[in-house]
Amino acid sequence: MIHVDKLTKFYGDYPAIRDVSFDVPRGRVVGFLGPNGAGKTTTMRILAGFLTATSGTATIDGLDVFWDSLEVRRRIGYMPENCPLYPEMRVTEYLRFRAGIKGIHGREASQRVERVLNRCWLTDVRRQLVGTLSKGYRQRVGLADILLTDPPVLILDEPTAGLDPRQIIETRKLIAELSQKHTLLLSTHILSEVEATCQGIIIIDRGRVAAKGDLAELRSQHKNLEEFFVRLTEREEPAVP
Amino acid sequence: MFATLSPNEWVTLAGLGVAILVVVGVMIYLCLGLFQARSLIRRELAAYFTSPIAYVVFVVFLAVTGSLFAETLNKLTAKGSVGVEHPLQAMFDDNYFWLIFLAIPPLLTMRSFAEERASGTLEMLMTAPLRDWQVVLSKYVACFVLYLLVWLPTLVYLPALLDLSFRPARLEDLTSPRSAVWTWSSLALVIGLVLALVGAVLLLPRLGTRGRLVSLGLVLGGVVLAGAGGWSHYTRDHREAPAAQATGVVGLLATPQGAGPLLVATTEIARPPLHLVEVRAGLDPVQALTFYLGVTLAGAMFLALGLLVSSLVRDQLVAALIALALSLLFVVERFWRVDTDAGGAFDRFVYFFSVPLHFQKSFSVGLIDTRHLVLYVSVAVFCLFLTVRSLESRRWR
Repeated sequence: MIHVDKLTKFYGDYPAIRDVSFDVPRGRVVGFLGPNGAGKTTTMRILAGFLTATSGTATIDGLDVFWDSLEVRRRIGYMPENCPLYPEMRVTEYLRFRAGIKGIHGREASQRVERVLNRCWLTDVRRQLVGTLSKGYRQRVGLADILLTDPPVLILDEPTAGLDPRQIIETRKLIAELSQKHTLLLSTHILSEVEATCQGIIIIDRGRVAAKGDLAELRSQHKNLEEFFVRLTEREEPAVP
Repeated sequence: MFATLSPNEWVTLAGLGVAILVVVGVMIYLCLGLFQARSLIRRELAAYFTSPIAYVVFVVFLAVTGSLFAETLNKLTAKGSVGVEHPLQAMFDDNYFWLIFLAIPPLLTMRSFAEERASGTLEMLMTAPLRDWQVVLSKYVACFVLYLLVWLPTLVYLPALLDLSFRPARLEDLTSPRSAVWTWSSLALVIGLVLALVGAVLLLPRLGTRGRLVSLGLVLGGVVLAGAGGWSHYTRDHREAPAAQATGVVGLLATPQGAGPLLVATTEIARPPLHLVEVRAGLDPVQALTFYLGVTLAGAMFLALGLLVSSLVRDQLVAALIALALSLLFVVERFWRVDTDAGGAFDRFVYFFSVPLHFQKSFSVGLIDTRHLVLYVSVAVFCLFLTVRSLESRRWR
C-alpha cells in the first residue's frame, strides 16, 4: 500500500533522511520507531504531501506522492505531531469545516460528523470549544478528523505522545479497531508502544533505516528487542569532548 | 462600424478578444476553485468574529469616519462664501484617516498565515486535498469581504454628503396599472428586487448545497435583472423626453409660415416620464462611485501585500508591522512632503504610487485614472502570486 524507495531529504546541507526504503502492505499496522530527530516526522510529511523529497520516490496505492499529490491526499488521513487544531472552534464546527475542505458538504457531512463523533467517543464534548479540551480529547478530535473520509491509509505521527496511561490505553484500543479496515503507519519513540499495537516495525536512526521487518521475526532474531533498539540508537553517538 | 476598420485595427480587436476570453476563462477556473474551498472561506470569516480583530477594526474605523463626517457636515452647511464641491474629498483628505486606512489591511491579514504557521495548523491545512492557490485565494477573499464590510456602513453618509433628495411616485400612479410609471423597465426593476430579496431570505435556513446554489442564483439573477431594469428606467428621460422635444421641433419646421395653434400644440414639451422614485443629487453623484471603486481596489492591493507578508513570517505582530512598513511606501507622501517643483520629474514619479494623491486628484473628484487601477490590480495579483510561491517554498526549502 505504501511503497517508499530511496527517499532522501536535505534541509540545506543537513540530511534529515537518507535512502529510506520500506514497504507497508495493505491492511497492516506498521510502527515507525526511532529516537527524536531520526527523521520520522520528515518521512511522514513527505508521504502526506506537506514536504517534497530531495530525491527518491514514494507511492501510496500506486500513486506518486509528488505527481498525484491531490489524489494521494484524498486517500490518506494524516495526523501531525501534537495534533494542531483551531482553538476557537467548537468540536462539531471543526469537523464540519474539515469535511468541507475534503469535499464533503451538506447532509452527508452532518452524517459523517455524527459517525466519527460516535466512533471516537466525542459525543459528550461536541459543543465544547476545541481550545478547552484536554490533550486526550484533542487527540481524538484529530483522529475523528482523519476518519471523516474513511481513507484506506492512515498516517499518525506520535499518536500517543503526551497522553496519560489511561488515554494511551484508549488510543491503543482505537488503533486496534482501526487496523481491521485501514493500513496504518504510526510513529513513536517508545518500543513498547510498537509491541502493543503493531505487526511490522521499521527502526530509523539518524536518517537511515536501521532495521525493518515483522515484529515477531525481529524478536526471534534479537532476544531482547529493547536492548537491541537502545544499542542501535546509541551506536556512533558523537563523543562529547 | 466594422466596415471602416483597417487591418491593423482588426488585429488589435482580435487580440483584445482573445485576451478577454483568456481572462474570463481564468476567472471561471478560479471561481470554481473557490467554490470547492468555500468551507475555508466561511471559517476564515468566522475566525475574524471569534477574535477581537473584527470588532476593534469596526469600532476604530467607524469612530474616525464618523468624526470626519461630522466635520464635513459642518463645512457643507457653513454660512458664508465657503463652498464644498467635492464632499468626499473634503471628508477623506485627512491625515488621521490615512493613518487608520494604512493600519486596517495589516490588521486584517496579519493572522491569516502567521497564526497557522505558529500553531502548526498550516500542516493540517496544506495536507488537505486543496491546492496551494485555493488556500491563498480563500483567505484573500475572506479578508477582502471583511474589508468591504468595514466600508459598508459608510454608505449611510452618502445621502447627506451628496445632498440627495428622494421623491417617490404618488400612490395613485403606483396603483393604477395604466399609469406611465409601469413600463417594462420599472417592472423588471421591481421583480428583480423581489427575486433578490426572496433569494437572500432563502439563504438563511440550511437548505443543503443545491438549495444554497438555487437561492444564490436567485439573488444574482435578481440583482442583474434589477440592475438592467433600473438602468433602463433611469435613462428613460434621455430616451423619451428628447424625442418628445424633437417632434415639437419637427412640427415647428413643418409649418414655417403658419404660426398658430398647431405650433403651440406641438412644441409643448412632453412632461418627463414618471419614475418609481425620483432621486436628485445636489452634488455630482459619480464621485461617490469612483471613490468606492478606488477604495475597493486600493484595499485589494494593501490586503494582498499584507497576505504576502503574513505568509513569510511566523509571528502575527511582526507580520502586521512589516506589512505596515511596506504599505507606508504607498502612503508616506501624505505625511512627509518633500518641497519640489510642482509638476517636476520627482513629483510625477511620486504621483505614480502615492495612494492619497490618487484619491485627492482623481477618485474623490469623480475621475477614474486607469494608471492607478492598473497599479493596484497588478500589485495585488503579483503579491498573491508571490504568496502562493512562498507557501510552496516549504516543499523545497
